[in-house]
Amino acid sequence: MEYILEGIRQAVRLIFSLDREIFSIVLLSLKISTISIFLSSLAGVPVGFIIGTNEFRGKKLLVTIFNTLMAFPTVVVGLLVYSFISRQGPLGPLGLLFTPQAMVIGQFILATPIIVALTISATQGIDPRVKLTAMTLGASPLRTATTILSEARFALMAAVIAGFGRVIAEVGCAMMVGGNIRGYTRTMTTAIALETSKGEFGFGLSLGLILLAVAFSVNILLHWLQLRES
Amino acid sequence: MDNFQFEVREMTKAYNGKKVLDISHLTIKKGRIYGMMGPNGAGKTTLLYILSLLLLPTSGKIYFEGVDTCKVNQYSLRQKMTLILQNPLLFNTTVESNIAYGLRVRGVEEEEQKKRVKECLKLVGLDSFEKRRTKDLSGGEIQRVAIARALALNPMVLLLDEPTANVDRGSVALLEKILKELNQRFKITVILATHDINQAYRISDEVIYLFEGKIARSPLENLYRGRVTKDKDIFLFDTGKIQVSILPERDEVNHISIPPEDIIVSIKPISTSARNSFSGKIFHVSDGGNSIRLGVDVGEKLWVKVTKKSFQEMRLNLGSQVYLTFKSSSVEAY
Repeated sequence: MEYILEGIRQAVRLIFSLDREIFSIVLLSLKISTISIFLSSLAGVPVGFIIGTNEFRGKKLLVTIFNTLMAFPTVVVGLLVYSFISRQGPLGPLGLLFTPQAMVIGQFILATPIIVALTISATQGIDPRVKLTAMTLGASPLRTATTILSEARFALMAAVIAGFGRVIAEVGCAMMVGGNIRGYTRTMTTAIALETSKGEFGFGLSLGLILLAVAFSVNILLHWLQLRES
Repeated sequence: MDNFQFEVREMTKAYNGKKVLDISHLTIKKGRIYGMMGPNGAGKTTLLYILSLLLLPTSGKIYFEGVDTCKVNQYSLRQKMTLILQNPLLFNTTVESNIAYGLRVRGVEEEEQKKRVKECLKLVGLDSFEKRRTKDLSGGEIQRVAIARALALNPMVLLLDEPTANVDRGSVALLEKILKELNQRFKITVILATHDINQAYRISDEVIYLFEGKIARSPLENLYRGRVTKDKDIFLFDTGKIQVSILPERDEVNHISIPPEDIIVSIKPISTSARNSFSGKIFHVSDGGNSIRLGVDVGEKLWVKVTKKSFQEMRLNLGSQVYLTFKSSSVEAY
């Protein structure tokens, strides 16, 4: 018990002394996850929109696939990305292994299915009269699409936040393709895993608390958005 | 040709192989108000959607001011008209943003947008509603904002799908007044689907009657539901109360209508080639302007017209026994 209390004391000290090491790790985590989510949204929202607002053969199957991919195990994604970017892999010559870029790729693969699947349900839930109304008011096809997205804005924000929540907290993929290199690819989750196993319990705990705070804030934001929508 | 806002030729619309519209020819002249009538499921909404270029017909042509709508960019044509949906939807923003939507789409300057929004809100009696959130509006207010949003566009054609189905009487009167005024001031063509026969005649220059997807001779009178039985070479339509001889043009007939002006009224039975003759008592007499409108109960209630002169000569009155005679070919089958 004394061990845990000492860890907590040390963690609080580290956070409130604005420890440089800790904050550079936190910033890097936020940066990598934000870039990943930005790219995932760029790809996932249009794809989800197209699937959600059109009827075609195989739609159900596609939706099921994306729903299943939402639960893609992070180490499997890590394995997949690793196999492509490791030295012998097809993308080996690009030298991406153990770089932040590799981590962005991994997180992109993790977050995109979530954003696609949630965009599908967000746009499917939109009243069909939104499209008709935009058309009767003379909107171009592109404008009509952005109007539908704008009507689904709260649900879309929720999709993006859900994706962010997943990638900021994942460890498997970040560890495998990032390599936890200090000051370069060391994120909150990889540092927690490594430092704790090294016996730096207080250090791990301080990052854990910050990660928890980030996850909480994200979920509170999500909850608030959902409240506003209803 | 140039006087036509719309011309519809040999147009059909089918869903899953079932025809819901079948219009051989329909013209809508510029600057007039049309009332579109018909029972539920007659195809009024579908026709409005097709004219608004929201739906494509299954076959046939739609001309807008003489231009084949299939051959041009539909969305640029769509900007010349607007449709108010039966149950209008406002975007989940402010009233101002909703009314300005169509203006933004058309690249109107912001100053001008604001001015138009103000004008249109005034027109529908919702001054200073600009900043209200649409989700806080009542049903009647939503309807009015939807009208303001349509008017803001200065459309050449305004189509309305039963705009007064869910609003109070005050709003109905206001809308009718606005439509008349717009039509007179700006020569806007108005096409208004309605259930209300009085409304149709009150505000429109012409009434289009739709029945089971077809343009019917205007308002169908003596309309009966029933089924066809075949007796040798004669087709009989059984309404459940009377049997009417008809000449069906298609296999399936569920309704017939007998135009009142095609029915001959006599005091004694007359021998003619007409296959239908019924006798019954007059239960209703009313003045129809140049003619007298009679309701005769022959098992079914039939409406007929006679001139004032014959009415007097035959000394007809409530309760008089008369004979009604009409040809099979006068009966319209649907």
